[in-house]
Amino acid sequence: MEKAIKIINEMQALGIIKKYAVGGAVAAIFYIEPLLTYDLDIFFVPAEESESLLTLSPVYDYLKGKGYKPEQEHIIIEGVPVQFLPIYNDLVKEAVDNAVQIEYKDTIVNVLRLEYLLAIMVQTSRPKDKQRIIRFLDEGNFNETDLAEILLNHKLKARFELYRRP
Amino acid sequence: MEFYANRKDEIQKIFKAKEQFHRERGKLPIEEKIKILVELQKMAIDIPTTSKEKRFKRVWEI
Repeated sequence: MEKAIKIINEMQALGIIKKYAVGGAVAAIFYIEPLLTYDLDIFFVPAEESESLLTLSPVYDYLKGKGYKPEQEHIIIEGVPVQFLPIYNDLVKEAVDNAVQIEYKDTIVNVLRLEYLLAIMVQTSRPKDKQRIIRFLDEGNFNETDLAEILLNHKLKARFELYRRP
Repeated sequence: MEFYANRKDEIQKIFKAKEQFHRERGKLPIEEKIKILVELQKMAIDIPTTSKEKRFKRVWEI
């Protein structure tokens, strides 16, 4: 995974993407007990703002140029299926802007903050998100004040309350 | 149900210990956690799964 992160850092340094942050299950693993996943989700701010899927083209062109092969919605970087997800709403944009830098082996990796990760899961609310939210509430050491502010700003407070234990 | 009602404290203690165990594992260094993830991938690779996930199931190189 470290090699894949290095390549993504390189893309950011070269301006192919403006900023990125690891999201999804791998981001969760930074904060809670490991859970099974097979892919690495990368949320990113495209180098040029665009509403179309073409925002992925520079990413794929660069990676294909380096010999990495796309497989469906992923591209395999150094043995890791990576899914690049352009920021798709205000919450995700804010989350990427506020990502934290964490050291993994000898590499710095941008990771979504725990509170944003939780808010995105509340917003997405797929069955797997619901399971993870409960685990985060049990295990995650999140900042209640920051989370409350994020949830309030993005109108997610009521939905989040449904997950709270009585 | 009476069996459980009489053992409420014991059962609560078991659940608390379980939560604590998961919380402790959550505090492991990220390098350790990624190693555990790869072990999980190895264990689960042959378990039938959704067709979407099947397409990109692989054990990571770390």
